[in-house]
Amino acid sequence: MILRPAREDVKLIGWGIGRVILGVGLIMTVPLVVALLSTEWDTALDFLIGILACVAFWLFMEITCHVKKDLTWLHGLIVASGGWLAAMIFGAIPHILSGHFKSFLDACFDLMSGYTTTGLFLLQDLDHASHGLNMWRHLLTYAGGQGIIVIALTFLFAGTAGAFKIYASEGKEEKLLPNVINTARAIWMISLTYLVVGSLFIWLALLKEGMPVARGGLHSVWLFMGAWSTGGFAPQSLNLLYYHSFWVQILTLVIFVIGSFNFVLHYEVWTGNRREIYRNVETRSFTTTMLLGTVMLSLGFGKIGLFTNFGEFFSKGLYNLASAHTTTGNGTVFSISFVNEFGLIAMWALILVMAIGASAASTGGGFKGLRMGIVFKYIRGEIRRLASPESAVVAEKVHHVHDVWLDDALVKGVLFVLVCYVVIYALGGVIGIMYGYDPSVAIFDSVSAGSNTGLSAGLTGPLMPALMKVYYIFMMWAGRLEFISVIALFSFGGAILRGRGARRKKR
Amino acid sequence: MSRRVASIVLVLAGLAAAFLMMSGSALAAHEVSVEELVANMEQYDGQEVVITGEAVGDLLVQGDYGWVTVNDDAYSVKSLEEGGDFAGYSNWGIGVWAPAGELRQIHILGGYKNKGDTVRVTGIFNRADPEHEGDTDIRATSIELLEAGHPIPHPFQYGKLLIVVILLALVAILWVDRRSRIRRARRKQ
Repeated sequence: MILRPAREDVKLIGWGIGRVILGVGLIMTVPLVVALLSTEWDTALDFLIGILACVAFWLFMEITCHVKKDLTWLHGLIVASGGWLAAMIFGAIPHILSGHFKSFLDACFDLMSGYTTTGLFLLQDLDHASHGLNMWRHLLTYAGGQGIIVIALTFLFAGTAGAFKIYASEGKEEKLLPNVINTARAIWMISLTYLVVGSLFIWLALLKEGMPVARGGLHSVWLFMGAWSTGGFAPQSLNLLYYHSFWVQILTLVIFVIGSFNFVLHYEVWTGNRREIYRNVETRSFTTTMLLGTVMLSLGFGKIGLFTNFGEFFSKGLYNLASAHTTTGNGTVFSISFVNEFGLIAMWALILVMAIGASAASTGGGFKGLRMGIVFKYIRGEIRRLASPESAVVAEKVHHVHDVWLDDALVKGVLFVLVCYVVIYALGGVIGIMYGYDPSVAIFDSVSAGSNTGLSAGLTGPLMPALMKVYYIFMMWAGRLEFISVIALFSFGGAILRGRGARRKKR
Repeated sequence: MSRRVASIVLVLAGLAAAFLMMSGSALAAHEVSVEELVANMEQYDGQEVVITGEAVGDLLVQGDYGWVTVNDDAYSVKSLEEGGDFAGYSNWGIGVWAPAGELRQIHILGGYKNKGDTVRVTGIFNRADPEHEGDTDIRATSIELLEAGHPIPHPFQYGKLLIVVILLALVAILWVDRRSRIRRARRKQ
């Protein structure tokens, strides 16, 4: 149980959140510049308002919450979870001012979807949205993928000892380098290098398809950001189907598969340890579940006699399967096709791989390959133990950069997070069914939101009930932060309330 | 005489057959919405359909053929940028594969700054086009330009400018206050 926080603790958290919001304001300068270059004056004003609101909030927090104390682990957890909520509200300012959202709740939904690299959206009339707004949508998913908190670490918390605590509580608990600031910078260096190279290749593919040079440049950057962050946003409502391009599909597929790998794995490969790709438990887990999904997909498509030649199977089957497994959400079919065209077997193949998701310490969501590997090894160990003599010592290990031996505490922690995911997926499905949606559709969209994937079978839209929008926001947020920070935030809130109650009793 | 009657009968029969064929093809081409097409793909697969809507995005021309996306939703009539009402969805559109010559009629494409040309597309609907890796599309036989698009006016928002000025003033006050607090704290040290 968390002890009643002192006023200083609350101030410290407010101060931390203020800095995160300043980070959001700084990122908004990029879409502001794009809007100005595109002579979209109205959009430029939207971003100017957003930036000034962020700066005003930061200054207010600096004045009212300044304390001479460093962040502890608990403060870090709460700044991470609370910072995302505050970032959602401030980031939604340009969204609601754009006139493409019916309500502020819808704008907040898209913001949370972007930050958490989910990719579901309630924005209306996307095909008439401005360049500035599209840049913001894609940039926030790119920034969200690397972690808003990492940005704050990189630029704003330099030299702060509590920085690692915020970083670790964001679901990226592994350090690449001994210094957390260097770790954050390494992540950004890797991402920016891929951004330049990946965008260039997509741009060339778009030029080949006949897209004008300037728009091709913008689309290539947006497509890269959507794919790399495993967000799945695209600037046109038809998503990847808009481009009708085999090469754009190949490139985005490669980008989101690489983007879904653990940053530690990236670092190991970058520093010359290429064998880690084959040995790592997450790449093995991903390969196994992807193969299983492919078999299910083949059976499903074979049964209904659709998408049976190689080109169709790749473009409509494998692409969407990989997109679901990496929790990206880029799609090459209409949403309704998952229900009407894919058939139950293929649809459930997508649901299963979405639930499993990508790698730990990556831009992806879901259970994560690391946890699937640990659970598999644990079950295998238990079976071996049952089949061995009583005196035999059976131990299992997983390889993730180093060999890690499984113990009860590790398995317990993994199972706790797995149960949390199953509960939020199931609850989302039940709520959808209670509102009268088809069970398969309700479960599909619920798993998609909870695993931060972004594919939709047609449920998610501006007309969905407000309660479902709020629950989906919660799912995206809790799923992205992997529950621990969220539980800490609720416990902190509970501790404040308990403290107030105790004070009243004393009086 | 009988030969003349026979030739008249033959001509009439030919005309009637031609008329029937024409009316038959007109009957076969269903005037449908994209939403209806997408919801009933199996029913319309391989059939000639007609859709009317706004050309949006880009013309992706590759040699003699190319793609254009045609939206026929509420926003294709009046987009949100033009002050249209919220329809409760993003967009309803479909990719149209057409000869480059047909696509060249389209000059203005819908987006933030423009209302795109309104076109009527006649073509074969494909649930999973085998020549385009299974894409759901329409292979157009003809594209007819119904109405030229136009630029969407975006009048300067003075209300938003006022909010900017107010926020700037607030930021300036907070900035000065913060600086004076920092100075005071330094003096105390």
